[in-house]
Amino acid sequence: MLIITCPFCGPRDEVEFACGGEAHVARPLADNKISDADFADYLFMRDNPKGLFLERWRHSAGCRRWFNVARDTVSNEIVEIYLMGSLPVKTAAKTTYKTSWRRDTAAEKAATPSRSKAGGSK
Amino acid sequence: MANLSSSRPDFSGQTALSGLASNTSANPDGGAIGLVFGEMAHLGKLNLRGQNDLAKTVKVITGCTFPPKANRFQSAGDRHVVWLGPDEYLLLCEAGKEQELQDSLNRMIPSPHFAITDVSDSLCALSLRGPAVRAVLAKGCGLDLHPKKFAAGQSAQSLLALSAVTLMAVADDAFILICRTSFAPYVQRWLADAALEYGYQYIA
Repeated sequence: MLIITCPFCGPRDEVEFACGGEAHVARPLADNKISDADFADYLFMRDNPKGLFLERWRHSAGCRRWFNVARDTVSNEIVEIYLMGSLPVKTAAKTTYKTSWRRDTAAEKAATPSRSKAGGSK
Repeated sequence: MANLSSSRPDFSGQTALSGLASNTSANPDGGAIGLVFGEMAHLGKLNLRGQNDLAKTVKVITGCTFPPKANRFQSAGDRHVVWLGPDEYLLLCEAGKEQELQDSLNRMIPSPHFAITDVSDSLCALSLRGPAVRAVLAKGCGLDLHPKKFAAGQSAQSLLALSAVTLMAVADDAFILICRTSFAPYVQRWLADAALEYGYQYIA
């Protein structure tokens, strides 16, 4: 059994946690119109790597808070645990984040306000 | 549809374990009873969501400061403030006082960003004491319950025999256990069974 260190409660047994699947899947904004095929990348496509994987976990029997875990799917080694809304800082986890196919998808690009809108011309 | 209200059973005033009679099982080794436990009937429980800026008002009204760290609780007499999450606390108060406490908190907290929910009947609190209390709990809980690792004033939300519980260490040999009302009969029977080898006394 894994011992997972909840960022709020400290090390606890794996049974207290629930895995929420791949982390850093950003929802495309409604303003940024993208094709159904591109939206499917956000809605359906999930990574299933052999090696380091960035996942969301929830301490469901404890403080019930979500956080991110960088876990190796082969060795179960937990490389990094970091808070929701932040990015990993350890080199290996950072590389995993940066090299994910998802970074190049239209869905992810559409998840941030487009540049013309951010310019604020009314 | 027919009006069923006349046939509806009346549960008012009942608690999770009110149908259960006191019972005792002697210590098979002949020594002292290992676990003495009972329901803290109608203990007032309020769930408080909000940031640290509520601490001052909570201190004025309950007499308890906010827990200094995660997984701790603070007490003032019969009132306790238990840490449940980074922005979530459980207030325990004397039976019947929860409405009054909720009203005064709602009135006096200046910030609009908070929520108080009365969960008195949603949760069941049990008071556990006796020399074997830690040994009994350890049978169904993955936490390190050694007094050095789980000292008085510490609390934790975890699983006890697969049911979600909040444990509060009141002293080396005394705990408050809070579980869901619907799980209370199961937890009570599990505790009695786990304590057989030490002897137990359940006080209704």
